Amino acid sequence: MKTKKKLKPLAAVVGAGRTKFGELWYNNPEELMTEAGIKAVESVERGLMRNDLQACYFGSFLYQVTNKLALVPGYMARELGMNIPMNHTEAACGSGGSALYNACLGIRSGEYDVVLVGGFEKMTDRSGKIIDDLMFAGDPHEFDAGYTFAGLYASMMARYIHDYGDGSNGRCREALALVTCKNHHHAIGNKYAQFRREFSVDDVFNSPLVADPIRMLHCSPVSDGAVALVVVSPEVAKKYTDTPIYIVGSQQATDDISICSRESLTGIKATRLAMEKVLKETSMTMADIHVAEVHDCFTIEEILFLEDSGFCKRGEGWKIVYDSYESFKGSKHIPYVNGDSALVVNAGGGLKADGHPVGATGVRQVYECFKQLRGEAGGNQVDKELNVALCHNIGGTGGIATVHILVRDL
Amino acid sequence: MSEPITRRKILVDYRIRAAICENCGRVYFPPKSFCNVEGRKSKMRPADHFYEKGTFFSGNVIRGPTKKFSYLQSFLSGIIHFQNDDLKVPGRITDYVPPPEEVDVSEFIGRAVVPRFRKTYTDGASGLIYYSSLNFSFEDDYYPFQEYGQIKPSTSESENKGKPGIVGYGVYLPKFRIKNEGSGVLGVMERTLPFADEDTTTFAVEAGKRALIHSAIDSRYVKKCFVGSESAPYAVNPSMSTVSQVLELGEKYEDGFFSGGIDSQFACKAATDLFVDAAALVAYPTFGGDYVMVIGADNSQAAAGDPLDYAVGAGGAAFIFGKRDVIATLDCYVPYTSDTPDFYRREGEEYPRHGGRFTGIPAYFKHVGTAMRAALKMCDLTPNDIQYVVNHSPNAKFPYQVAVEAGFDRAQIEPGLVVKYIGNLYSGSCPTALAAVLDIAEPGDKILMTSYGSGAGSEAYLFTVTDEIEKKRGRSITVKEQIENPHKQYVDYGTYRRWKESG
Repeated sequence: MKTKKKLKPLAAVVGAGRTKFGELWYNNPEELMTEAGIKAVESVERGLMRNDLQACYFGSFLYQVTNKLALVPGYMARELGMNIPMNHTEAACGSGGSALYNACLGIRSGEYDVVLVGGFEKMTDRSGKIIDDLMFAGDPHEFDAGYTFAGLYASMMARYIHDYGDGSNGRCREALALVTCKNHHHAIGNKYAQFRREFSVDDVFNSPLVADPIRMLHCSPVSDGAVALVVVSPEVAKKYTDTPIYIVGSQQATDDISICSRESLTGIKATRLAMEKVLKETSMTMADIHVAEVHDCFTIEEILFLEDSGFCKRGEGWKIVYDSYESFKGSKHIPYVNGDSALVVNAGGGLKADGHPVGATGVRQVYECFKQLRGEAGGNQVDKELNVALCHNIGGTGGIATVHILVRDL
Repeated sequence: MSEPITRRKILVDYRIRAAICENCGRVYFPPKSFCNVEGRKSKMRPADHFYEKGTFFSGNVIRGPTKKFSYLQSFLSGIIHFQNDDLKVPGRITDYVPPPEEVDVSEFIGRAVVPRFRKTYTDGASGLIYYSSLNFSFEDDYYPFQEYGQIKPSTSESENKGKPGIVGYGVYLPKFRIKNEGSGVLGVMERTLPFADEDTTTFAVEAGKRALIHSAIDSRYVKKCFVGSESAPYAVNPSMSTVSQVLELGEKYEDGFFSGGIDSQFACKAATDLFVDAAALVAYPTFGGDYVMVIGADNSQAAAGDPLDYAVGAGGAAFIFGKRDVIATLDCYVPYTSDTPDFYRREGEEYPRHGGRFTGIPAYFKHVGTAMRAALKMCDLTPNDIQYVVNHSPNAKFPYQVAVEAGFDRAQIEPGLVVKYIGNLYSGSCPTALAAVLDIAEPGDKILMTSYGSGAGSEAYLFTVTDEIEKKRGRSITVKEQIENPHKQYVDYGTYRRWKESG
């Protein structure tokens, strides 16, 4: 199923590996990264030797805090037993996506043909302190106002409900719960997911309050995990596999770290700018995307993405979610439908159900799309032909957004 | 947080300081050195929002706070919009205790809020205490919004012949109260207590802020500030410097001020003893300043279960002394002191100890009675010449009895007996009672105020109210208004102890 566009690939993913996400008490973060890295290298069909790697790009957020370790390249050089260039990117929850963005730049520059991209996080090593740690990705004044990360998103959600949910007779709030229901439903067939169980709207509304109006089941979990990709230049991709997944768009945008200083509380400017750039880069529209991995750290963020990406108009994201869920008749993946467009979002459960080891998330999204586009998602494979996927990874409350578009058949 | 980081934050957080581009008007918080739009053409100037009101733009109820805020359990955080500058800042809503069930945050959107100087958190029991004005309360709740308008002082000192006195005052009583059961304890029916994020320094700032608003003077001309208390948050590190930084007392130079002052301690008369010093300073040419601020504030300490625990309150009052636009001249000062150990607290001890009934006749009554009689004699006055008598109020019985013994009647005593409704504010007790009387006094009235500090001493002051008092009435929140405020909120004993010890 070739696209009608004339696409110029920037890079290609030829291998991918991951750990299960969850409370991985018995592994240190380097071990998780090693497990994912070995799986990624061994997944390359025609073989890839460790020594073929020319550089590594890692993403993690809290390694220094959770494990009191810095200089990620040094630790990873020890794990890999290699002395190649290594970069570590910290961009909060957007670390993984940013690492891939940097890897694409490395390949596009012509300096490298074969690199490893890894994302990892070990959040449960800090258990009781992680709420505080996550606020490193917020403005210090937000911390001093008592905000938690859930609190920041709750302020966005409260304003969204105020601005767009008024008169919805509770349907806007229900839509915010339906995102949870959908993503947990999608995770049932994902063997790596942290939570593989269904939740109802009532379950969401009856879950404990975390930061009104956010309840526990509006939130992605605290997770451990690692994911790795083998990313190569398009010119050498077929040397490693017959079915490389090409990266045809890779863009990033940033915005003020504080939600107070932004243009809007009900939209992520960095997402909007990165999306505009990536759609322009690929000459695509949202209607061309078949499956999207969206940064649903809190359910409000998935709805904001639908609007920021242009999939629907501002203020109508909740209606798309509500109507799509209500009208869905199947049993597997529930697409968001807007006119003729049908977009499967977070086919593996997203951050919400698959888990959210923050630095790993942006890389996990590409892992999921890689598997879906190659038809290798097993019991979780989307029941329709897929050729174009989009990954949307943001850091903090939108201080950074990275988007990638992947294509199987150019 | 390190000390240098704290100092840098103080400069932004105490006044909600932003930077405004003079070319295009865009405002940035925290402040920055150039405008995003104007670039190198930017001309930035500081803009602070300490005296402005904002509106609640959005927010949430934090149910699982960070460790630093766990002392508050759950609370409302908000994004506050200052319309004048179109500036949004993160803030915490204080004096609000969320119910356990879900709060519809959208109901708060659009409500006006007032900045409050409060604690954010502390670095444990031995580390720094962090304060900020990025705490807000709803304007239509307990704490109303007041504009700080500055009126040029009159050039003439002839009205009061240059005699120094009180130029303005402000009282701060917290929103929360606890009732004493039945008919009260020694006449004390209910008492004020701090919210969990309040302490003596925050009381002092709020009282000082109200005194500036009431007097309508430019804070630059306040050259000295005294804060009297026996519950200072730090053993070493003055509350006075925090008050001066927040209220910008004195001529500004770089990020400090050409003003001075100290924290003082003499049990409950730590502040009142300095009234005469303040008046003397403004009349002393070498001082070179126009005004002196004296604040008495306390989160009055008492061990759980001690009889004191049923009389103590929390809050403070600030008085500004000067020579122009004086509302009450200071006409007489009589101090009386002896080494009488009736009430004390050793360094490092959390709560004071006292001598029970020994605090009565040999201590309070001897010193207060002696000073007030000596003042009347010195001024050649009788109780009939005095409209109001105000005494330090450890309870409602002592100040009444000592005044009756000196020949005063109920009508002269009762207006100052606010202890019945707010409790014993220790260093803030006498100043708050004086303010309650000034709230209703007429020009020409004479007020005899006698303080008491354990250890022990008293000083009696005679004030005469001037015509100026009428001009400033509209700019104060009276003690009565605060006592009767319909938004005051009662708490149980457990909450009272927890919040009191948090302060």
